[in-house]
Amino acid sequence: MKGMIKYLREWFKDTLNIFNSELKTIITDEGVMVIVIVAGLLYPILYNMIYQKGILEETPVAVVDRADCSESREYIKEVDACREVRVAYRCTDMEEARKLFQEREVNGIIYFPEDFGVRLANLQTSTLSVYTDLSSFLYYKNLLLAADFVMLHNIGKIQIERYSRLGMTEQEAMQLVKPVVYEENNPYNATFSYSIFLISAILLLIVQQVMLYSMSICVGTMREQNRSFCSLVDTYGGKGVGRVILGRGMVYWCIFMIIGIYIATIVPAIFDFPQRGRFWNILLLLEFFVTDCVFFSMVWSSLITKRESVFLLMLFISPICLFLTGFSWPATSFPVFWKYFSYIFPSTFACRGFINLNTAGGDLGTIYFQMRGIALQTIGYFILSIVLLYYEHYRLKHKSRLSKIREDITDMVVAGQMKFDKKVDEDIAHIREIVGKNKLSQ
Amino acid sequence: MNCLQNILAVFRRERIIWAKRPIYFVGSVLIVAFCSVFYLTFLQSGVPTGLPIGVVDNDHSSLSRNFISQLDATPAAEVRIFDTYPEARVEMQRGRITSICVIPEGMYRDVSAQKQPEMTFYINGLYFMGGSLAYSDLLTMINLTSGAVQRQVLRMKGMNDAQIMGMIKPVELDTHMIGNSTMNYGAYLGSMMIPGVLEMVMVVLIVYSLGTELKYGGSRRLMELSGGSIGVALLGKLILYTIFFFLLGVTIEMLLYSWCHYPFAGSVWYMFLDVFLLVLASEAMGITIISFCPVLRFALSVSSLYTVLAFSLTGFTLPLEAMPEAFQYVSAIFPLKHYYQFFVQEGIFGTGFTGWWQEVCHFLIFLIFPMLGIHRLKHAYIYQDYEQI
Repeated sequence: MKGMIKYLREWFKDTLNIFNSELKTIITDEGVMVIVIVAGLLYPILYNMIYQKGILEETPVAVVDRADCSESREYIKEVDACREVRVAYRCTDMEEARKLFQEREVNGIIYFPEDFGVRLANLQTSTLSVYTDLSSFLYYKNLLLAADFVMLHNIGKIQIERYSRLGMTEQEAMQLVKPVVYEENNPYNATFSYSIFLISAILLLIVQQVMLYSMSICVGTMREQNRSFCSLVDTYGGKGVGRVILGRGMVYWCIFMIIGIYIATIVPAIFDFPQRGRFWNILLLLEFFVTDCVFFSMVWSSLITKRESVFLLMLFISPICLFLTGFSWPATSFPVFWKYFSYIFPSTFACRGFINLNTAGGDLGTIYFQMRGIALQTIGYFILSIVLLYYEHYRLKHKSRLSKIREDITDMVVAGQMKFDKKVDEDIAHIREIVGKNKLSQ
Repeated sequence: MNCLQNILAVFRRERIIWAKRPIYFVGSVLIVAFCSVFYLTFLQSGVPTGLPIGVVDNDHSSLSRNFISQLDATPAAEVRIFDTYPEARVEMQRGRITSICVIPEGMYRDVSAQKQPEMTFYINGLYFMGGSLAYSDLLTMINLTSGAVQRQVLRMKGMNDAQIMGMIKPVELDTHMIGNSTMNYGAYLGSMMIPGVLEMVMVVLIVYSLGTELKYGGSRRLMELSGGSIGVALLGKLILYTIFFFLLGVTIEMLLYSWCHYPFAGSVWYMFLDVFLLVLASEAMGITIISFCPVLRFALSVSSLYTVLAFSLTGFTLPLEAMPEAFQYVSAIFPLKHYYQFFVQEGIFGTGFTGWWQEVCHFLIFLIFPMLGIHRLKHAYIYQDYEQI
């Protein structure tokens, strides 16, 4: 019993020591602090500011009205009245409109051919052309939406007129033109705002990436200074794995829970972003997610041997992770390989979970699959991080034994107990240099 | 002459560094290659198909069954039937269906009696492509149904098909999509995401390369080789990078427009110029960053924060005019934005020189930036008086 208490006390003391030293490493490293403060605290605000409006309105278009009939004039007036589009220029021919288009004065052209009115009068189908460039999908979407909307409206009017000519009453004609009416709802994103797609997906991704970068920088720095992220295990002969993992993990967990709560609840509130989820549900998701991120970062950061390599090797992952959340290209259409690849990242589950909870206002039942994914991932990464810790420990022990042998040889040579030719002498000098450096840094 | 020899000496030293440290190769070629494979294969199909659309059929008539099977037959949609609306709603909150279509009870009866039954759509607006495509698919189906009902009535009135067509469809919309006629989402995103990754890699790698000289104390040797001139030192170092990045850029352009046959209006040769200017401007930004904060650890954090923003502020997803005005000005400091403008002129409109000469000027302005802070870098290189780690 006494031994047990002693063990526990020691255990807590060690864990606390590791916690403190890791915390010190993070806080005293300006490279890490810049990332945590700027990317973790300011970027969520910046992204919200960039995408605050989120909707493209009044896309300028040029109109070429060769028909110049009452229908085309009516049409132009209605298109101009749409929120999406603004008639910026009226051109006499396509050449002029095309020039404006290329100069990016307008993002689309609406063209009425000469026979537009004539064909309508003859009860035939008239064609109306819309040109839009695909430099951004939103130009295309706006122009098509407005043109379609006005067209459907006009078609209805023209059809009713035509049916009246066939001798129907207006009521009958209306019922025939629209045998089925529809009501549309877009409950979560009424204006199809770009900010709601993107911000919902990006917020939690920021937590994951900032943690990955900061932990990797710390690991890289330690290794450069000839320390390691598993320094305690070394002294305990491989017994203190729990202490190292929990001590280090707790630091990141605490810091990033705070950042996570800030990002998932405070930032959306500042920008009047929809918050339909319950706070406790979001907190639960965050707890799962941040725990997962801790082990995820531990595993991947152990590949880093030098602090600078973090940015060279890991920066490109952020946009890829964003696509893998499925916010833009639907997850159901992912190619099989990338679907499984996306399961590597906690963000794939967490961002979808956050969208379901926060933006779609679902309850815990709606994020069951995501939570299960996160839980399985956490277990996987936890086991992997233990394995990697043992490996690191083995490597370090091996390394220190090697350098001890080298030191002995050097001493013997220096003392004149062994003789080598010139080449070996050079090697020895080199070894001494390395050993000397190691001693200094210790 | 002496100057040329110095440049060569620095160049040779840089070549040895590249050969000795694999991170330069891994950090550039492998990453660009991986990202290219990702963006080209991930969005391979161009337009998503088989989007799950939930249908709640309260009518169970031949009309509703016909509507469902026709909706299912469109390439974009894959119908999933639900018994009740709440069931479907939960699935939508889970993000597993893109939209819900509720068919009212007695639809067939009401249509026959000309009572105009009302269908209800719920669109999941949280997923960009899925939501909007499902929406347009449902609208098309509703219009087709109206058309079918009308045709039946008009046939009974004894009209021929040509006359019926004029009645059902008095106006037709003929859409021309300039620069991407098949609406290939992969071409649209790939054309910008892959050069975006290239820019990211270039800025970070330049900062890394110039910064490691400080960190590992090689900068004095470098200055010795260059005869004390920072210009010569940078020139010697950057020749290798410029050639290398340019070749990488050319490979990307070839990959996109020659191998994948992404739509391209103008001449690919001009895109080589565009990518060359992107290389120069990105290098200039890299030099500027390391000059103003000549501490490697700090400069790398700054450069990564900077390059990540480029994807948003280029305006190829949400156009710049939909952002607050301040960001429209800020966007000018990202070389990728000018690459994009150039690409729009050449790749989408095929205008040639008259369309993009302004972008060339903008790119060249970037080359002035390093001159503002280069004395700081020289000072740091000679005295190495900044923190070293």
